[in-house]
Amino acid sequence: MRIALTGNPNSGKTTLFNVITGKVEHVGNWAGVTVDKKEGDVKGDWNKTGTKIRIVDLPGAYSMSPYSSEESITSNFVKNEQPDVIINIVDATNLSRSLLLTTQLLELGIPVVVALNKIDLLKNKGITINLKVLSKKLGCPVVETSSILKKGMVEIIDQAVKVSGKGQKAPFQSSILNNDELDKKAYEAKDKERFRFVDKLVKETEIREVESKKQTRQDAIDRIVANKILGIPIFAAVIYLVFSISQSWLGPLIADYFVGWIDKLYVFVDGIMGENISPLLSTLLLDGIIGGVGALIGFLPLIMVLFFQLALLEDSGYMARVAVVMDRYLKKVGLSGKSIIPMIIGTGCAIPGVMATRTIRDERQRRTTAMLTPFMPCGAKLPVIALFSGVFFENAAWVGTSMYFVGIGIIIGGALIVRRITKESSAKSYFIMELPEYRLPSIKRAYVSMMSRAKAFIIKAATIILVCNAAIQIMQTFNWNFQLVAEGMENTSILASLANPFAYLLLPLGFGVWQLAAAAITGFIAKENVVGTLAVVYGISNFIDTEELALVSGANDVASIMGLSSVAALAYLMFNLFTPPCFAAIGAMNAEMESRKWLWGGIAFQLSMGYVVSFIVYQVGTLITTGSFGNAFVPGLIAVAFIIGIIFYLMQRNNQEEYEALKELG
Amino acid sequence: MELTMGSGLFRRKRNRHGKIKETNIEAKINLTHAAIDATYEIKGIDTEDQVMKDFLFTLGCFEGEKITLISALADNYIIHIKDARYSIDSQLASVIRIGNTE
Repeated sequence: MRIALTGNPNSGKTTLFNVITGKVEHVGNWAGVTVDKKEGDVKGDWNKTGTKIRIVDLPGAYSMSPYSSEESITSNFVKNEQPDVIINIVDATNLSRSLLLTTQLLELGIPVVVALNKIDLLKNKGITINLKVLSKKLGCPVVETSSILKKGMVEIIDQAVKVSGKGQKAPFQSSILNNDELDKKAYEAKDKERFRFVDKLVKETEIREVESKKQTRQDAIDRIVANKILGIPIFAAVIYLVFSISQSWLGPLIADYFVGWIDKLYVFVDGIMGENISPLLSTLLLDGIIGGVGALIGFLPLIMVLFFQLALLEDSGYMARVAVVMDRYLKKVGLSGKSIIPMIIGTGCAIPGVMATRTIRDERQRRTTAMLTPFMPCGAKLPVIALFSGVFFENAAWVGTSMYFVGIGIIIGGALIVRRITKESSAKSYFIMELPEYRLPSIKRAYVSMMSRAKAFIIKAATIILVCNAAIQIMQTFNWNFQLVAEGMENTSILASLANPFAYLLLPLGFGVWQLAAAAITGFIAKENVVGTLAVVYGISNFIDTEELALVSGANDVASIMGLSSVAALAYLMFNLFTPPCFAAIGAMNAEMESRKWLWGGIAFQLSMGYVVSFIVYQVGTLITTGSFGNAFVPGLIAVAFIIGIIFYLMQRNNQEEYEALKELG
Repeated sequence: MELTMGSGLFRRKRNRHGKIKETNIEAKINLTHAAIDATYEIKGIDTEDQVMKDFLFTLGCFEGEKITLISALADNYIIHIKDARYSIDSQLASVIRIGNTE
């Protein structure tokens, strides 16, 4: 049998789904985390009924009338796919709003079981709910649950199986739910009546000792963290702290142990292969695979510490306040306040980030957000940031922090440009966001989320990254005649000759050597590849020092092998962060933009942005540090002027069109 | 040009509207004029954006319902409707017409 999970946003559907199916879908303490339906089977622990049960988790909805596309997924699924049972998850602390959806679900004729969720919060808030009366008045079973504490799981499944196959009587019958032809007025009047029905029901079943509209300590916190002046500095401090912990304190400590094991593996494999094995195979295995993948895996602890902290932040309810703070700035550049949500999700991975843009109603804003979201440094870019801040900047936490804020800056600037190039839609964009309650984040949930992301990281490293590294190793070992490249003749390898043309283009950015160009190109397959490829092409087996407790071993040695100045290194880092994302993320952009023109425009824009930013960082930085411009300043300047010229032309063209249109109008 | 045309239309409409309800001065009070911690009755949602209006409806934000202003922060207003808190921007706050305090 099949059960659909429905309920208001942030009522805890996905948390409950994860508990009963054992899956690890992304959850957060804010509305709109789930944008697509997810399916899974109920685990044996919770299913004592003997029947196989499939659960479908749906995006949150406030009502059955579709108001945004992710809400229509919910109403379409429930209406068209006819699940056997609907479990309606109701936030017990907000009956007066949640039961609107409940009464609509009860009219569909599909048996409904209400899960009165977040029951653990009731005592603190001085709320008592009479379950028996509620169940009787609604005409369906009501089960107390707390998905966070895993309470009531067996009971809810049990009840769902019991009601399956039976019909459902509706306590409030509107009789017009499926009649879209009916005129709006009558519909609205009916829904007002429905709300009055719900109000009456709440009055009969709920006792509140404290009115929810009373000011609380939470409201006082909101006034500080979402403050006009303090909001941004507090956000910056939080991000800085997150980076300090993952990159300067806790991360390196764990990384240290970890890399010790990888070193042992290297020595072990080296040992069992003995002397007689072909040197080709031995370098492929040791330097190409263990070296390249190992160099990347060495950063795993750092990433895990960071993901752990991000999960804690999402669980706390703070992210919704960040959205409020950022709304002001995003609106000024023609984006929606909601655009911040994809960007926050994008700090984990750009793919779900880009997918989250579908909650934005306005098409132009949605496409612009999908185009700009990948500028937020994602999890895959972290090893690259960690590597460069370790080698060139002594692990300074400001490097990582500032990359986030440069990302935000580029997004804001980019949005301004895109607004000028495309015509701004005249539709007013309002911002509304539910503010979830703050709560003490759960260590356990953060741990689970961290482990699932770590697993994904390892799988990626052991598949895509491994294959890429092996390919890179082979391409740099052979020349086009398939002969081994002699020492000192590295420039004749297949890899070098392929990457060289690109290296010329990168000269004005301060890193015009084929090794760095090759790493940047493999980065489009997966950004982690930048680290792996650098390890392979420079023959560095691991970047992390196990003896000095430093993140990057012999940072000066690595720096000198790469032959980059700090300024050029920063430019290279930014080039990798702010050019187009990996192919998978570009695929997601394609899906959400639904326009070839926007997709190619977006990619061209991302490429131009990365090039221009790196050029400015390198040339201006070199001017400041050495007193003269860096390599290939003039050709670079011409290229950058050309790019800026095109962008200006596109922005002007629109003005021109508007002007002419106005002239015609007289 | 486009902009001025728009606001001209808007002004005309407001004027006409004002004429009709000349006697009722409260009709012009929207949520941006609200006092903190005061609970008001919603008198109407004055927007052409039907989708937003419908959405607010599902939250219980429509004529006749109660609304409380919890905080006013820079451009955002934190409001309380039906046991939940929302942050809305001043544009949205300005279309929520409110009446007497309790």
